[in-house]
Amino acid sequence: MARLQLKNVNKRWGSFVGVDNFDLDIADQEFLVLLGPSGCGKTTTMRMIAGLEEVSEGEIWLGDRMVNNLEPKDRDISMVFQSYGLYPNLTVYENIRFPLRVRLVPKEQHDEMVMRAARMVELEDFLDRRPAELSGGQRQRVALGRAIVRKPTVFLMDEPLSNLDAKLRVSTRAQIKNLQSKLKTTTVYVTHDQIEAMTLADRVVVMNKGRIQQVGTPTEIYDTPANVFVASFIGSPAMNLVQGRLEKGVFQGQGIRVIGLRADKSGNVTLGFRAEDAEIVKTDGNISAPIYSIELLGEASMVTWRLGGALVSVRANKGFRAEIEDVVQADIPADACHLFDTETGERL
Amino acid sequence: MSNPAEKRPLPLKALAISIVLIWIIIAAFPFLWTMWGSFKVEGDFFSRSDWMNAVTGPLTQEKHGSTFTMEGYEGAWIEREFYRAVINTAIVTVSVVAVSLTLGTLGGYALARSGYKYSFWLLMMALVFRAMPGVTLISGYMLPFFELNIWGYLPTAIIVLVAMNQPFTLWMLHSFFKSIPRDLDEAALVDGCSRFQAFRLAIIPVMWPGVITTGLFSFLTAYNDFAVTSMLLSEQNLTMIPQINSFLGSSQEEGKVMYAVAAVVSSIVPLFVFIMIFQRRLVSGLTAGAVKG
Repeated sequence: MARLQLKNVNKRWGSFVGVDNFDLDIADQEFLVLLGPSGCGKTTTMRMIAGLEEVSEGEIWLGDRMVNNLEPKDRDISMVFQSYGLYPNLTVYENIRFPLRVRLVPKEQHDEMVMRAARMVELEDFLDRRPAELSGGQRQRVALGRAIVRKPTVFLMDEPLSNLDAKLRVSTRAQIKNLQSKLKTTTVYVTHDQIEAMTLADRVVVMNKGRIQQVGTPTEIYDTPANVFVASFIGSPAMNLVQGRLEKGVFQGQGIRVIGLRADKSGNVTLGFRAEDAEIVKTDGNISAPIYSIELLGEASMVTWRLGGALVSVRANKGFRAEIEDVVQADIPADACHLFDTETGERL
Repeated sequence: MSNPAEKRPLPLKALAISIVLIWIIIAAFPFLWTMWGSFKVEGDFFSRSDWMNAVTGPLTQEKHGSTFTMEGYEGAWIEREFYRAVINTAIVTVSVVAVSLTLGTLGGYALARSGYKYSFWLLMMALVFRAMPGVTLISGYMLPFFELNIWGYLPTAIIVLVAMNQPFTLWMLHSFFKSIPRDLDEAALVDGCSRFQAFRLAIIPVMWPGVITTGLFSFLTAYNDFAVTSMLLSEQNLTMIPQINSFLGSSQEEGKVMYAVAAVVSSIVPLFVFIMIFQRRLVSGLTAGAVKG
């Protein structure tokens, strides 16, 4: 149990910057999710915390120890790998017991600790099997069991669900959430899946190109994205983004006009709004244009326009029907709109 | 009879079986001929009048009162003390295998896990030295070994055999280690292992098939070597293969050909036993998905 601090951590390979000035304080017992597209530096950051990758610059503190120069074994962490990293020659029981054996935990405690961990990940019936005889979900649970068999200061999880099928992913996700709240151990979780991030995290760190884009609770990230990248990365479907001009509180873009916005800024801006915040109307819509497509999702219909270069979608109720090229109007409440500087991408 | 392979027409089956039989006879004949002949006298085995004498053994009958004689074996094992060569071979092969595998597993692991470019060049260099005929390097060893006064001893030959065999073991083990996912090392490191413990507890158990296969090849290199051992060992330290050669004699000395034949059979039999013991492990080691996570 400890807080984890990363102080201006950098990782470079030659001139390539993998992680750029990562500065973050992770509270004790916090569930932190590092979220970003592949190659954004999230896994590298986690590997630096684990000690599997050297830090080029900056400091990593675990509790009151600076761990930069400690071997992974001395950092008192446990980690779940994307490809499980199980010992193929050992049974499930021996796999879970392995950390206890190498850390010289007294032998008479082993059985109790292994059984407790096995119960938590529901593997009691598979203890004598070898990893090759298990399904993907069971293997991932063995990896989880091995991580929780002792009480490390920090759990690290590197895309633990990405090799599982969709259904299993949902149930294992719930299991991880439940385990973490029971064990109350600081957890850093890496994923590229924003739904995992939203459902699991106390706080989310959105990363892109080695840099932190935004740090916040899932709600903050969703409701007030700090820049265009976060806005377009979070949410399904992603936030609609339309370029245009803001003048005296009026946004004017191709085929779209929104009034009642903030009057203190003007210039080229990008307007963002979420599909579910707008609604289809008969008259006086902010958008009024021929539609590009209509998709029936079952619980709703998704109406899409092509405004300038951008596709803009609005969620209509499930009974809504229209033909492609019909002119349809949509109302966008001004308070549901996000404004970003078109040059810098930053939120205004 | 559901297997389609068993439904082939009879002539085809007969042809397949006879090809296999012919191949077995061709492959095994020299050994069987030698083994049969080793119990005859030289006049029969190398008969000038009739090759059938090697099979029937009339001169052997005349000399010893039986068509079989242990004369060659007695001469080789008792008179010329072939057991010394057997002991020397055992020392040399066991040492070469042990040293090669120790250096090879450590080095192969390091090279497989190293991210640096020089590991590639080290392996290329190893390949170059592997490609050279071993005998071309020996002349370079002779003078330094005489000067250092270490020529003729078993450890000297062991060092040279290890040196010549190492590129191959490195390559082979390197590729075995490459096939083991890095996650396994890293899981072990995070679980509390030092680098060496991760190697010993997590990697080597998965590597056994590779280690055994490589060990077998090292064993065969050392066991079958003639070039190094014949040039670098003194008369009393010879291993089996150069010892057999010495039975054949030289221009100054009359050879004991039948001693050599008996010694050849004596040195081949253990190899058969060895391959029989290890064939199962060898085949499973080379085919099974031993490293599947």
